[in-house]
Amino acid sequence: MTSTTSRRARPTAAPARAGSRTRSRWDRFGLPSLLLAPLLAVILGVVGYPIVRTVWLSFHEGEYLMTGAFNGVDNYTEIFGDPYFLAALLRTTIFAVVCVVTTLLISLAIALVLDAGSWAARIVTVVVLLPWAMPRVASGIIWKWMFNDQYGIANWLLVSLGFDSFKGYAWFNDGFASLVAITIAVVWHSVPFIAISMLAGLRATRGEVLEAARVDGAGFYQQLIRVRLPMMKPLLTILGVMSTIFAYQSFDHFLVMTTPPGGPSHSTEVLSLLTWLQAFTVLDQGVAAAMAVVTFVLLAGITAVYVKLSKEGT
Amino acid sequence: MTRRLIVYPAMVLICVASLFPFFWMIVTSLKPDTEIFTVSPQFIPHEPILSRYTELFSGAIPRQFLNSLLVAGATTVITGLIALLAGYALARFKIPMKKYLLIVILSIQMLPQTVLVIPLFVVLRNTDLLGTYQGLVLSHLALTVGLATYMLRSFFMDIPVSLEESAMVDGASRMKAVRLVVFPLVWPGLAASSIYGFITSWNELMFSATYMQQSSRETLPVALQQFFSSYYSDWGGVMAASVIFTIPVVVFFLLVQKRLMQGMVAGAVKG
Repeated sequence: MTSTTSRRARPTAAPARAGSRTRSRWDRFGLPSLLLAPLLAVILGVVGYPIVRTVWLSFHEGEYLMTGAFNGVDNYTEIFGDPYFLAALLRTTIFAVVCVVTTLLISLAIALVLDAGSWAARIVTVVVLLPWAMPRVASGIIWKWMFNDQYGIANWLLVSLGFDSFKGYAWFNDGFASLVAITIAVVWHSVPFIAISMLAGLRATRGEVLEAARVDGAGFYQQLIRVRLPMMKPLLTILGVMSTIFAYQSFDHFLVMTTPPGGPSHSTEVLSLLTWLQAFTVLDQGVAAAMAVVTFVLLAGITAVYVKLSKEGT
Repeated sequence: MTRRLIVYPAMVLICVASLFPFFWMIVTSLKPDTEIFTVSPQFIPHEPILSRYTELFSGAIPRQFLNSLLVAGATTVITGLIALLAGYALARFKIPMKKYLLIVILSIQMLPQTVLVIPLFVVLRNTDLLGTYQGLVLSHLALTVGLATYMLRSFFMDIPVSLEESAMVDGASRMKAVRLVVFPLVWPGLAASSIYGFITSWNELMFSATYMQQSSRETLPVALQQFFSSYYSDWGGVMAASVIFTIPVVVFFLLVQKRLMQGMVAGAVKG
């Protein structure tokens, strides 16, 4: 846009101007289309088409990875009558909420510590980020080792602190205890990104308003609760929704840390794991597609909130 | 003064919590079994051994490492190219329905992988790409292009348009202006979004486990997950494999962490 005006202002000979006119049309339509083409091809091919295909599959029979006859909403009535699916839906939701609340609180604490600022804060910031870079499969394995019943460092620490009942405690023999261990592993992995985003948010609140509050005699907590957190509300909402969505999608930690996947006896099955097992172990594609669509609709709802809130934020 | 008394111990605690799993992974991989399976943990190996690494390197790990490197490398390059072109277009041109396009690009990041995994399996099977590098790279692009494009767009937007314009007024073509003036400035952004693509692809498990199983082309996350589910009592070996798997990402990450976080935070915050 602006480039065409500046070029028009330039005094040139007539042939050159004619040339620049064709170039400006090219600039306005041809070039951007060409530049966007690869992205659009990827979006349509490996994102758009699969979504449509999954929705379509969810209304068909699908066994052994072959698509069968149209069966209306049978797959949906099946999964909503399936206690394992309903349990997984509820379990994933609770898991997500716990993960998000813990992640946000720990991240805020870390961000506040780093925001207090000192020569050490810069190094600690990099250290804080490191867990994010560790592959999830590797972190799942390491946490499973640390929660080992006989030789795990977690039980050793708990016993040393006086909780004798954790001597030889088998975390992964029980659904609830497994979920606690997995939650810790997932939170460890998701805190870095959220904490650093919050740190950026906290730094942005420094300024006249905060200074005024300080002059008026507001203490650290008053500044935080009355001034800084309200100023960060759009960011906090977005981070909350983002981490909710990531928690809902947790897959790697569950596949690695539970044996058999989702066990013992279905007690750690979450949506993504159940869907994947349904598609590639049970080999019932239609039902798996219906589960995927339910997850998709759920997350689309959350994403819609995200988009709406982030628009209000700017 | 009281604040310092809280802040410094807190920083120590944060560092310990962040680093301990890394430390424990490395230490365990270096300890002989007699030192791993002890009632009270040994924090420093008395007789460190490297035999687990030499064993792994004489097995399938080098091949799997190479597979991962190939897939992640190709994903990185292609993601970088696509995001570079599209990011420039979205930052500089008036595009119809740009607002909605941006929303779509951001929403891709929020998409559950389970929605993509089944139809992509069908597509890859029908095109004979199941178990191939190309097939896996294609599926990984679905996970990387959205945020990478968004990141690069915000980097381009930070570069003043006037720079290009003045180059074009001086007679340079747009291509030349971009190549000589804009590209050197956006280079860090390209590095950041490429590394983001690399880390995503290197770590990805669900697609890899579905499309690459039982294949000589299987990547590290799949190999590690399978190794772990069949030899889960060989903790030393599993830890050594995890170290090999973790090192490249951590190195890459440390190289560009500042730019990468800038880009990702921008993606999250500017919405």
